[in-house]
Amino acid sequence: MATLSISPMDPLLQAPTTTSGLTAPDGRTLQRSGDIMVPVPLAELFTVAAQYERSGKMAEADRLLNYILAVAPDQPDTLHMSGIVAFRLGRQDEALAKMERAIDRGVDIALYLRNICEVYRTLNRLDDAVIAAKRAAALAPSDPLCLHNLSVIHYERVEPDEAIAAADRALMMSPGMAGAHFARAEALLLTGDWENGWEEYEWRFRIADAARLMPPTDKPQWDGQPFDDGTLLLVADQGFGDVIQFSRYIPLVLERCPDAIIACSSEMVPVLRQFLPEDKIFYRWETCPPFKAFAALSGLPRLFGTRVDHMHAPIPYLHADPGRVATWKERLRRLAPGSHKRVGIVWAGRPTHNNDRRRSSKLADFAPLAALPGIALVSLQKGPSADQAGRYFGRAPLINIGAEVRDYTDTMALLECLDLVITVDTSVGHLAAAMGKPVWILLATSPDWRWLLDRSDTPWYPTVRLFRQTVARQWSDVFTRVAAALAEMSGPPTPTAGEAD
Amino acid sequence: MSQTAFPMCPCGSGLRAARCCSMNAAAMPPADSSRHLIPLVERAVTAHRQGAIETAERLCLDVLELAPDRPGALTVLYQIRRDQGNHAAAEALIRRVVTLDPNNFAATNEYALLLLGKGAIHEAEVQARNAVRIAPQNPQAHNLMGMITTEAQRPLVGEYHYRKVLELSGGRDPILLANLAWNLKNQGRMEEGRALYQESAAAAPDIRQTMLGWARLEEADRKFDAAAAILDGMAEKWPNDPGQLLSRAVLLGRTKKTDEALTTLDEIAKLTEGRLGANELAEKGRLLDQMGRYDAAFEAFAEGKRIARELSGHAYLDGQADNIIQRLGGFFTAGRLGTLPRATVRTDVAQPIFVLGFPRSGTTLMEQTLSAHPKIVAGDELPLINDLTGLMPRMLNSPLGYPEALAELWMGDQREGLDNLRDYYLQKVGQMGILTPEAAWFTDKMPLNETHLGLIALLFPEAPLIHVIRHPLDIMVSAVSNHFTHGFFCASALETAALHYVRVMDLVQKYRSEMALRYLPVRYEDMVTDQESTVRLVLDFVGETFDPGCLQFHENQRYARTASYAQVTEPLYASSRFRYKNYRRHLEPVIPILQGHIERLGYAVD
Repeated sequence: MATLSISPMDPLLQAPTTTSGLTAPDGRTLQRSGDIMVPVPLAELFTVAAQYERSGKMAEADRLLNYILAVAPDQPDTLHMSGIVAFRLGRQDEALAKMERAIDRGVDIALYLRNICEVYRTLNRLDDAVIAAKRAAALAPSDPLCLHNLSVIHYERVEPDEAIAAADRALMMSPGMAGAHFARAEALLLTGDWENGWEEYEWRFRIADAARLMPPTDKPQWDGQPFDDGTLLLVADQGFGDVIQFSRYIPLVLERCPDAIIACSSEMVPVLRQFLPEDKIFYRWETCPPFKAFAALSGLPRLFGTRVDHMHAPIPYLHADPGRVATWKERLRRLAPGSHKRVGIVWAGRPTHNNDRRRSSKLADFAPLAALPGIALVSLQKGPSADQAGRYFGRAPLINIGAEVRDYTDTMALLECLDLVITVDTSVGHLAAAMGKPVWILLATSPDWRWLLDRSDTPWYPTVRLFRQTVARQWSDVFTRVAAALAEMSGPPTPTAGEAD
Repeated sequence: MSQTAFPMCPCGSGLRAARCCSMNAAAMPPADSSRHLIPLVERAVTAHRQGAIETAERLCLDVLELAPDRPGALTVLYQIRRDQGNHAAAEALIRRVVTLDPNNFAATNEYALLLLGKGAIHEAEVQARNAVRIAPQNPQAHNLMGMITTEAQRPLVGEYHYRKVLELSGGRDPILLANLAWNLKNQGRMEEGRALYQESAAAAPDIRQTMLGWARLEEADRKFDAAAAILDGMAEKWPNDPGQLLSRAVLLGRTKKTDEALTTLDEIAKLTEGRLGANELAEKGRLLDQMGRYDAAFEAFAEGKRIARELSGHAYLDGQADNIIQRLGGFFTAGRLGTLPRATVRTDVAQPIFVLGFPRSGTTLMEQTLSAHPKIVAGDELPLINDLTGLMPRMLNSPLGYPEALAELWMGDQREGLDNLRDYYLQKVGQMGILTPEAAWFTDKMPLNETHLGLIALLFPEAPLIHVIRHPLDIMVSAVSNHFTHGFFCASALETAALHYVRVMDLVQKYRSEMALRYLPVRYEDMVTDQESTVRLVLDFVGETFDPGCLQFHENQRYARTASYAQVTEPLYASSRFRYKNYRRHLEPVIPILQGHIERLGYAVD
């Protein structure tokens, strides 16, 4: 969910707006030669810089803060603020150095620690992150934000019980803190406690900077009870993978509310029209008709009482268009050697996804697969990472079919032509799984809650096999295991001699 | 009149610029108005014929000052400047004669020969074709076409025209026979070529070029003793002929007598006051390389490059290369490609396999390997894709150049434009006679065709694209030790070879990320160290069953015309891998240019 993103409104990383220590840092006077120099009002500059930072003008803030630091290099608030700005500008090493220096100035300020733990987390220094978060929580025992950050870090360290405990403490102080509820929800869901998890998960829409589900409405959220005297508006919320995953509930919804319509982004029409006629699908709010109640697609697992051992999984529930399948089959026949096993691959998700650093790999990580004989890699990758296909020089042929894929109708048709799909946690994995195709999904150590922990299968999709990282953000051993499994599946390698005589 | 007011023409003709290269043709008086000057022209012709060059020159300049378009005076002045070795002026003058009178056969012939002599093959061909149009029954017109198309690596066309000369002249001119023999040698038809050389040498035993060509044929055919015998014969007649000595050095080098080869080169150096030509220096470098004397070898290579640059005036066409590569990268985007049609696939003729790669990266080895397969024939370096890029605007009726002319494919009347371009390519291949009845495939190994990967994929969407990859520094060593003109003359210097390499590889990367291509990168090093599985991989990719003959490609009787021929007729040898280590120090200037690609390709610099 979007709460983990770094934005100016983000409670995980907050900048103060004023500082008291600036007029004469380190006891020095700033008017070193007062008779000549115009005194620089550093405190005012800091205030202006803080305003820039809050309004998102990072380059201006950066320039001013660096100016102050040139005069007062050890001023902790400025170092800290400058670190935040550097972080937002993507200069993470510099951010960390500045924030560490602010802390080293010997002032135990909880805010510094609370913020630096988010930088550590981003840089995958989870041990440092958890130490900083705990110190922040100890210094400011009444600050629920410190505990919220701690909970998020525990989740990433795959310590769901600690994550739940930290969120619980935050909620004791601030029971309506949506972020802490959400952190708790994710940890509960990850551990398989879906009964409690779904309820907490409902807090996701109340997080301050979360994407709005829909334009403001006075209509109620659907409680799951049948009605036939009005329209139910479903909202295909969250990422494409979520929509694909939760669209399975639409037939159940239609049993209870025959007049259901859905609002979605246009890309999702090929998926959703497999459940609803196209005149019930809307991708512009302006054209959406009036409705009696609404429900987010991501809320349906709760309404239908989904449990780990009580799963609605009518696989396959998505089907490729036969005409397009024929087209792509022919296209692939032309591009890939017929004797090769065709393995669809996706190495990266949408970069704007807040977990992308953790979930995405690189095409180069697929090297152990590319070394296998008899394999053709079929890239289904879209988006900015797709250009890695141009830099691939592995032994297995790589067909960059993604360059010709226009929409999910194409993707589904292509999936029908493949022997296997190997992907990081992306919508393509959901799509193939929903079609009942064999899919291997590669997961970060701290995966999205839906994949649970310590298992290689998933109740959501029977044809999915999960491969999990054992070390955070390290893909090498995952791909070694995937390659071994693939080699095993393909049988012994073709003998290299024999036709010679 | 002062020089500044009326500057002389920079071409060196001796005429004022306004009466020469800066002449305004529209302002010329009608030709008839200068008829009174004809006696002066006649006097100039006579004076020139009698050897009174100064008089002839003076008369020509006088006439041309008054009437700059008198063809007779222009022709005499052209002959004078040509004989003086003033190439720029000679070219300007003869070009003017041809422009003024396109039906002047003699001038067209002269101009074509001049262009051929300076290596402007494409322009020479335009003139030669015109010569045939003017004089379809003139043997010399066909001789021009024969020479030029043989030089342009279309030997089958050349053979046709040479045979036409035989037919029209009714005789068997020894020089023509030798030219035809050379043409046949380039087709790998060694026996026929040998017979013609024998006939030519018997009729005219004192023509050096004939004997040199014959010796080269024997050497290429691995008949080293026969080659040596011819050179011995030459040595008796022309003991100090540099061409003979160089051929002998090459022959000695090929038979591993490197010391003797070097001595032979030293003899040439003595004859030419210590100055070796570009070819001699390249050979010397290769010999020194074989002997492990790398510093001296590199020095010879570098000096050879310098002399070649000086003589040919060819330097890397940086701006042109940058321009076309930028435009190609900008044009072939996934979005635009989604809107463009593709040529359909012909099933009635053999289909191309494109063997791509930088010159000297192992494309010849790949072609020899593949063409040892019963279903695959070698097409060699086909100039056709490049030709198509020039013809495209006309064929698609577009006001724009390549690649923008492809926009015509959006027009209702050009939807099948790609099929026409494809058919042009296939038809030309058919005319070249490389296809056999059994062939399902033919190779096109024109180096740097990867520059046109986008176009190729539009024309032949099913064609396998085999990209031969090699350690970039090894390619640089080869680029330094060989002369090739591919890639906008990038190999005229080490740095520009590296620069062009980077440009092309970046472009390939762009194509590959924007298009779904039937593309397989194959490492040259794998072909050397892991031959069988690499060959299996490639054949599998092409869709043909493995044939053990492909592993014995050096027994493939086909003669590869390009610089690699001496290597591909020998079994694979591992010493060609990572040769750059011997030149680590000399390659230092290009390592920073290539570093990114070296890493991306999975190589290192040790």
